[in-house]
Formats: sequence, C-alpha cells, structure tokens
Amino acid sequence: MGFLSPWFLAGLAAVTLPLWLHLLRQYKRTPQAFSSLMFFERRVQSSVRHRRLRYLTLLALRLALLILLAVAFANPFINRTTGTTGRRKLTVIVLDRSFSMRAADRMQQAKAEAGRIADGLRGQDLAQVMALDSHLEALTQYERNRGVLRAAIASLGPGDLTSSYGEFARALRAMEQTSGMQLEVHLISDMQRTSLPNFRDLRLGPHTTLALHPVGKSNTANWAVENVVTAPQVYDPKQTRLTATLSGWHAEAASKKVSLVINKHVIGTKEISVPRDGRAQVEFLAFDVPYGAGRGEVTIEPKDNLPEDDVFRFAVRREDPRRVLFLYTAGRTNEPYYYKAAMESSPSTGLTVEAAPLERAAHQDFSKYAFVVLNNPGEMDKDVAQALCAYVQKGGAALIALGGTSTRTGKIPLAGERFTSEHVTQGAGYVDEQTPALAGVGRFQNVQFLESVQFQPKAGARIVAKLADGSPLLVEERMGEGRMLIFTSTLDNTTNDFPLHASFLPFVVQSGHYLAGGDETQSSVVAGTAVALRRTREQSASADVVGPDGKHALGIGEAAKALSFGLLKEGFYEVQRASGHRSLEAVHADRRESDLRQIPAETLDLWRNTGSSQTAATGGIEQQTVPWSLWRYVLAVALAAAIVESIFATRYLKERQTV
Amino acid sequence: MLAGISGLDLIAKTVVDGFIAGLHKSPDFGFSQEFAEYRAYTPGDDLRHVDWNVFARTERAYLKRYRGETNTGIMVLLDASASMGFGAPVSKFDYAKFLASAIVYMAHLQRDSAGLIVFDDDVRNFVRPSARQGQLLRLLHGVDTAQLGKRTNFARPFFELQQFLKRRGITLLISDFFEDPEKVVDTVIPLRFRGNELVLFHVLDPAEIEPKLGQAALLVDMETDDAIETSPEYARVEYRQKMQAHLKAMQTKAQEAGIDYFLLRTDRPLDEGLREYLTIRQGRM
Repeated sequence: MGFLSPWFLAGLAAVTLPLWLHLLRQYKRTPQAFSSLMFFERRVQSSVRHRRLRYLTLLALRLALLILLAVAFANPFINRTTGTTGRRKLTVIVLDRSFSMRAADRMQQAKAEAGRIADGLRGQDLAQVMALDSHLEALTQYERNRGVLRAAIASLGPGDLTSSYGEFARALRAMEQTSGMQLEVHLISDMQRTSLPNFRDLRLGPHTTLALHPVGKSNTANWAVENVVTAPQVYDPKQTRLTATLSGWHAEAASKKVSLVINKHVIGTKEISVPRDGRAQVEFLAFDVPYGAGRGEVTIEPKDNLPEDDVFRFAVRREDPRRVLFLYTAGRTNEPYYYKAAMESSPSTGLTVEAAPLERAAHQDFSKYAFVVLNNPGEMDKDVAQALCAYVQKGGAALIALGGTSTRTGKIPLAGERFTSEHVTQGAGYVDEQTPALAGVGRFQNVQFLESVQFQPKAGARIVAKLADGSPLLVEERMGEGRMLIFTSTLDNTTNDFPLHASFLPFVVQSGHYLAGGDETQSSVVAGTAVALRRTREQSASADVVGPDGKHALGIGEAAKALSFGLLKEGFYEVQRASGHRSLEAVHADRRESDLRQIPAETLDLWRNTGSSQTAATGGIEQQTVPWSLWRYVLAVALAAAIVESIFATRYLKERQTV
Repeated sequence: MLAGISGLDLIAKTVVDGFIAGLHKSPDFGFSQEFAEYRAYTPGDDLRHVDWNVFARTERAYLKRYRGETNTGIMVLLDASASMGFGAPVSKFDYAKFLASAIVYMAHLQRDSAGLIVFDDDVRNFVRPSARQGQLLRLLHGVDTAQLGKRTNFARPFFELQQFLKRRGITLLISDFFEDPEKVVDTVIPLRFRGNELVLFHVLDPAEIEPKLGQAALLVDMETDDAIETSPEYARVEYRQKMQAHLKAMQTKAQEAGIDYFLLRTDRPLDEGLREYLTIRQGRM
C-alpha cells in the first residue's frame, strides 16, 4: 500500500483541533439552584465519565472523519495482481523507415528480420505491420494472412523523415487502450541515439511487451553536409556567399572534396579536412547564378555508408531587384525621401523604391510591384482604391501610413476602418519583435510621435506595435491572399521624428522584406516541413506541387482546397500557391539522422521493462501488478462517518438546548 | 384565582351547606339535625338510633343517620423553608401562599375558626385559631408576610402545634415534603391520633418532578448549599424514578395512616386543583 499524493497527509495535523476542543478545553458550568438534592446522588465522577464517554464517541467520529479525508486526498493505493489472459494477443511488427535506415543495408536487414518474425507466428496469431518515422503508420489491418504481412514488409522503403521513439511509445499506449488487446511489439530499428526522447515519454502500457531488434552496426562512422547557409535570392552575383558546414560522427579525421553545384553545373570545388568527431566549414564567394530558380547542391566526396546525407540541396533564385511603389499626395515630393533612402541603402533586400503621386496611380499596374506604400493618403479615387484592393487580395501587399491628410477622411484606405486622431506627443510603448515585420528593429527608442490614432482593428488583425498610451502604432491585417501593414504615423518627418533615428532603417528594410514575401522564402527546409498553399479555403484558384520525382503531388480536389502540403522527401519541389506565387523549395533530411550512434544496451533494457515485462508468469497465467486506487472507498467511509457524526452532534446539541 | 375559589364556596353551600361541611366529616355523626340516610338495623347497632316511626309502619328496624353541622377548627401549616422558593414563573412558596389564603378565606365564609403556622426549621409565625371578627385579615396578613426561611424541620413545629390544638379539627399541611415519607408521616401522625383530620398538600414544581438538564450541571441545594454535579441522563432517568417512588411512598404512607394526601403541581391552576381535591373528598364522604 502506498499513497500517490502523500503530501496531503500533512492534513492529519488538523486532528489536533477536535482533540483540543474535546479534551483540553475547559468545560465551564454555571451552578444552578435546585430545591433539594435529596434525590440526586453525588456522582460527579461518573457523570463526568459519562459525559466524556459521550464526547469521546463524538471525538472519535470527528477524528476519523479528518483522518479519512486526509487519507482520501493522499490517494492511497494497493497493488493488485490481475491476470492478462483475458486479452487477445496482437503481434505488432514495426519497421523503422527513417532517413538513417538508408545507411548501408540496414533496411534490407530490417525487412529480413521482420520476415522472420512474421514466419514465426502461429497459425491463428493476429499480426499487424507498421512503419515508424516521425509517426507510426499502419501498413496492414490485423491480419492472420502471412502473405499480406510479408507483402507489406517487402513494400517498405526508407524515407527521409526522422524517427521518434517518443511518438512510437505514445502511439502504442493509445493503440493498447483502443484495441483492448495484449500487444507484443517487435521494433526493428537502427536504435538511433538521437531518436531517444525524455525517458518518461518512452513508457509503455501495462499490456504491451516490447522486443527490440537492432539492425546495423552500433557505431558506424558517418560524414554529412550538415548545413548550408546562403541567401535564397541573388540580386548581384558579386555579392553571393555560401557557407557549408561538414560534420563527422564517430568518424576519424578525414579530407573531403566539397563541390558546389548549381543546375548540375559544378561551380566550384574545395578540399577540406574534417577533424575527428568534429565540424568544418567551407565558403564559396561571388559565384555566378543563372537567372530564375536555381537548384543548388553542396556535395562531399568520397561517399560513405550513408551517401544520401553527403548532398545538401538548396534553392537559389537570381532576379533583378523588385520595385516598390511609393504613392504620395501630389505636390509633396519630399514624402518619399526618407523611405527611399532607407530602402536603397540596403541592397540585400532586392527592393528599389519608385515614387509616384497618388493622383497618377490610376495608370499604374500594381502587380508589377513587390508592394505599394500609401503615405498619408487623402480621399482616394474610387478606381484606384478598387484596383489596390484587388491587387492586395490576389496576394499583393501594402504599407499604409496615416497622417494629417488621412485624418480628414477619417477612414483607413483599403482596410476601411474608421479612426480618430489627437495630438499627443509620445514614444513607442510596445514593439513585438517576434513578428516577421518587426524582427530585429528594436524598440523605436527616443522616437517621438506627434499624433495618436484610435481605431478598432478588424477581427484577425494584430497590433504588433503600440504607442505609450496603448493606441496602435503598427497593425498587421490580411486581405484575401495579401497582407497589409497599417502604420498610424507618416513615413516622413511631418508627424514624427522617426526617419531621424537609427531604428527607421531596419524598420523600412524588415517591413519591406516582410511585405515582399521574403519571410516565406528559405533556401532549404527540413523534410516534414509543411508549405502553405493558400491562406483561406475560399480562394478558388488551384495550387500545384511538383515533387522531386517530377510528378504532380496534388490531386484535383487537393489542388483546389488544400491549405498546406508536407514536404516529406529530399529533393526539389516546385510549388505554385493559390496566389499565383511560384517558388522552388529545397528539402533536406534532418541531420540528426546522420548521427548513426546507437542507444546503449542498458537504456534499451530499461525501456523494455516499462511495459508488461514486469509481469510474472505464475502457473502459466500471466499475472500483472497494477496499482488500485482506494480514494473513492476512503471517501465513502468518510462520508458515512460525517453522517454518523452529524447525527451524534445533533442529538448532543439537542440535549444541550432542552431545559 | 380567588374568583375561581369563590366558585368552590358556591359548591360547598349548595351541596353540604357550607364549604367546611364538605371539607370535613363530623366525628359526632348523627347528632346533626340534618337527615342523611336510612340503614337497615344490624345486631349490635345502638337502639337509640332506630327510627321507631318507620318500625311502626313497616315492622322493620331502620337506623336514622344524620350529618353533623358543627363548626370546626382549621389550622393551616405553611412550609416556608428555602426549598419552597424554587420554581418559575410561580414559585412553590407563592403557590402555597395562594392555597393557604384560599383555605382560610373559605373557612371564614363558613365561620369556622382558622389558624396559621408558618414554619421552616422553627415556627416563624403563629396565628391562633379563631372565628372572631378580623381573623381573616390576621390570617391573610400572616400569609402575606411569610418569608422563606432555612431548612425544613417537621418535628419542631408539630410538637408546638400539638400544644395549641386542644380541640379536634382539620390540619392542612402545605409543603414540598423533601423528606423521607415515613419520617413525615411519623411526625404528623400524632395529630391524627388525637382525633384531628390531617390533609397533606404536596406542592411541587414540574421541574422538580421531571427535571431536564441540557448538559452536565452543577446543582446547588437551596437549603444546604451542597453542590452536586450531575448529568442529563441521570436527571432524565434515575431522578424521575426516585421522585415517582417518593410520591408513591408519600401517598401510600399517608393512606396507611388515614391521612389525606393531595399533590399540587404549580403549573396547574389552583382553583382547578382545589376543586378536584374537594370533589374527591366529597365523593369519599
């Protein structure tokens, strides 16, 4: 017997209260005059004893009640032995198909071992074949047909995802509960150390036995291109830069030939020494990238036991700088000055600013621009407003800066919210630096804003920066497939001194990068990453994904409705989003899979013992010890004690009150 | 209350020609001029009482019986011991004083001589029996000025009482009788032997008969100041048993000694109790 919450036993200290009330407290009696004591006997002692006896019954009940309550909260349990023969047995054959199983002939070994297990099943045994990577996938139903099991095993191939033993244990626990069967699980895996979660997450259910079948050598040396860092867009070939990191796991020092390949053309090759169990970096500078989407690879030679991680794929796009349209009120030609200067001082953004008066915007084709800036707009031409709305809804972007001219209309252009303003000089109070539009811009220190704008943002909008009085400074809103930033001050120095401070430049660059969609572009992503295809299901335009094998990955229904797509295999994916934006996504396997070191045998033994391997075979019947909580019963007894106590106490009080 | 007792006067006058005639039985039965009944002659009867006129007409001998109508002396003994002060809202002593007043008033109406002795462990006040003018006021004053004293002691006042009671009459003793019944009867029985009629009015508060204690209590004797701690259970069970046994013993001992005994609870209207007693007495005569 034990307690699951023993700290509640501290509540036993409460028994001192009734003890004090009953035994220690003095009972004061007021003498009562009576005509004659002729018929009373001097029974002082017996009277007190009788009274105390009565009190002791009440006291015992109260003590029992408190003790039982404390014990009930402490959640007592006893270990009960239960038989497990009532459950049907299910043999589960789980094959690891994570990226590391590509090493040498591990997959073949695993399939051969699984085949042997399947062949060893008795005629009426139920079995199921499952595959493990980042999740557990059933490849068959509960089967007695050995042929089906063997076919499922034969069809299995290695994938590019990581294996997760934590997810494996969680899935087995759920499976045990839902199936109600006794699970005999055979895990055939390379038992990678990097797949091991917190040991608590490995716990198995009481009706699960786990047999581990390690494949591959315990400590296989492996080298890999661990990481490649380069800009996903190239605007100027002279400024291209690529850094590749090479790693060795359980490997001796070695010399590797590193090659940079773009669109199957070798751009450069370098020799580099990788230290023992260490890392080395190699850089390629000012390499030429052809216009358009480029498929890049960094490879190392000679190949090793796991050649798939000797290649690291990345996507790079060569394009000319994109234009940003800055619309200002006619006559105020100074308005774009600060914004343009800030944006063009950072050529790595790949954005150039083109300023134009708002009155001439009717002739503009907004789709040619990365995004549009509306600085202190007044009443807008209806056609221009409609064209801008359509542009944003189709995936465009706009930065709207509100000023004195905007205040006269009282309405935020494009967004449509009503707003009011007042002259209050104050600084910024809150800046969300976690949002992509403001990442790394700082807290706008010492910037003074002369106006405070009040409005109610739409549902789904996010206030990412506020003034000191809590009024919004920068609001992020979605419109269709597009995005908008509403800045409640101007981008010149008419209603603030923002352009004169250092934080103006990173604000312009980072918000521009965000509005231009730069945050959605990465040179390479880990296998298993999901890419967004559309922002809303209402978007009727279809999306498309062409996988590494050159085949379209989406069916017709998925192309019309899917919000995202999982990039599960290594290679290049051509993704066309519902907004029409096309991109090339490079996918690489998680490099934790490149560490082929195995889990120590003693850890595996501990894992096995978390399941029903604790059970002891007794007389041919498997007995299992499980904790049986008693708190409900203790609480029931406490309730009964409370009822009896209340009856006693009521009688006692009644006697005291009657005369 | 006195108005109720005046009703008894009307009953006494109507039935026995005077309250006191209903209250006592003349020992000189037959000397009264009021005819009571005829009874068949049996050998041994005094031939002087035979109604010869009836014998002449019927040739059967009948005795002619009469009820006496003689005035008698009434002596009220009022216990003023400390224990009589018990009770609420009307204490036993107050109740006993009302009772004594009613009795002397009725005696006055019947022109009987009446006297009063107030006693505790000694005689505190004595009003000599008399039927003279102003006797009622003296008696009522004696009752009114009676004060609670100390302990009860029957022996001493009864000894003195015997000195004053030269002629036969009725003695009414009003007390709570917290004493051994045998001892009480032994003390008062000499009065009975001397031809007196003796009536014991036992006045008790309901809380004395059926005490209810809410919790263990420290009880202090009103006469002795002794203290006893007792429990509600004892008061509820054993005390009541003892009290009932005491009352039973009082009644039995009194009956055995030819003494009238009547229990009066202070929660009962006095006139109702007194009427009941007189009704019982009347039925017995």
